[in-house]
Amino acid sequence: MSKIPKQPKKEQKIKKRYRTDENFAYRSVIISAILGGIFYLISLLLNFGIITNFIDQGVIWDFIDVLFKVLAILLFFLFMITSLGNYKELIGKPVNWKELLLILGFSIGQTILNIWVFIFTLFGLLIILIYLYLAQGI
Amino acid sequence: MNNTESRRITKINGFTILKKKIFRVLICIIVMNTFIISSFFVPNVYGLQEEIDSEFGESPIIDGYIDFSSNEWNEATKVPIELGDLPISLWVMQDEINLYISIQFELEGYAHKDTEFVGMIISNSSSIIPEEFLDVKIVQFSNKTSNDFIFLDYNINNSEFLNDTKQNGMGAAKIEGIDSTYEFSIPINEVGGDENMQDVLLEYGNMYAFNITYGETPVYPGGIKKSEIVLITIKNLSITEPPLWDLVFFILNIIIFSILGILYGFYIYKIFKLKEKIERIKR
Repeated sequence: MSKIPKQPKKEQKIKKRYRTDENFAYRSVIISAILGGIFYLISLLLNFGIITNFIDQGVIWDFIDVLFKVLAILLFFLFMITSLGNYKELIGKPVNWKELLLILGFSIGQTILNIWVFIFTLFGLLIILIYLYLAQGI
Repeated sequence: MNNTESRRITKINGFTILKKKIFRVLICIIVMNTFIISSFFVPNVYGLQEEIDSEFGESPIIDGYIDFSSNEWNEATKVPIELGDLPISLWVMQDEINLYISIQFELEGYAHKDTEFVGMIISNSSSIIPEEFLDVKIVQFSNKTSNDFIFLDYNINNSEFLNDTKQNGMGAAKIEGIDSTYEFSIPINEVGGDENMQDVLLEYGNMYAFNITYGETPVYPGGIKKSEIVLITIKNLSITEPPLWDLVFFILNIIIFSILGILYGFYIYKIFKLKEKIERIKR
C-alpha cells in the first residue's frame, strides 16, 4: 500500500477545473488580441485613408464609409479590452484606469481625420464603457 | 331716464368702444405681421436658385471618367439638383486657372438618346434674366455606343447660338450603362484670350448664373429639353486656406497608428512570455 496519501478526488477536480479555466482565459487573450489586431489593420486602412473607394459617391456611401470606420475602431477597442482584461486576470491583477485610458485614448486618436467618425466613435465608446461598468457591477 | 339706466347705457357704450379698440389693435397687428412675414419671403424669391461655392482642389482630367482611386474630384462641392424631372449630381471645383464642373445622372438604356447632350449657358453675372446669358458650352454626343462626342463653344446673340471663332474651355463625356458623366473645364480670368468677347469672363470672387441644360437633339436652343439655373461663386485666390491643420492631423495620425502598432507588438510579445511562464509553473 502506498504511503503517500492520494489527493482527494474533489481537490483534483478543482485543480482540473482551474487549469481548464486558465486555458480558456489564455485562449481568449490570444483570440481577442488577434481580432483586435485585425480591426487595428482595418482601421488603419480606412481611417488613415489608404482605402478611399467609398468616399464621394453620394451621401449613402459617405454614411457607409463612416459606419465602417467607426465599427473598426469600436471592435478594436472591444477586443483589446477583453484581451487585456483576461491577460490581467491570468497574472492576477485587475485592469487599472491608466491602461483603460490608454486604449480609450488610442481608439479616439484613430478618428482625428474625420469629425463624424470622431463623434460616432465617442458615442459608441461611451456606450461600451457604460455596458462594461454595468456588467462588472452585476 | 333715471340715473341707473344712464349708467348702464354708458357701460354698454364703453364696452362697444373697448371692443372697437381691440378690433383695431388686432387689425394693426395682422397688417404688421403680414409686412414682416412678407419681408422674409422677398429674399427667398430671389434665392430660388441653388447657390454653390466652388472649392479649390487638384485639377481633374477632363475625360468623362471619374477616377475614384486617385481621389479625382475629391475636393469638389457636390450638390444634388433636379433638372426638370431628372435628378442630377452637380460637382463644382476650381484651381488657379479653370473652373471645373461635372454632371452625373442615371437614365435607363432606352432613355439615352444617341444624340444626347449636356450644356451650360453662362450668364455674364449672377443675374438670371435671359439677356445676361451670353456663353454656351456643350458636350454633344453623336453616337453613344461608340462614345463619340464633340465639345462645342457658342455665344448667344439675340437668342441665337453662334459658333465661337476660338473654342474656350474643354468638355468630355461618357455613357456607361445607365450612368452618364459629363465634365467641363472653363478658364477663369482669361483676359485677352477672347478678343471678340464671345465668352463670359469668369472672375475670382464673383457669382455667376449657370443654366444647366439637357437635350436629345443637336439643335440649339430648340433641342433643350430640361434646364435648371444654379448660381456658382468662384472662390477668390486669397481665400485659399493653407492646409496646415490637415498636415498637423495627418502627422498626428501617423504617430498614433505607429505607437499603437508598437504597443500591439509589445503586447503580443508579453502574451507569449506569459505562455512560457504558465508552462514553467505547470512543470
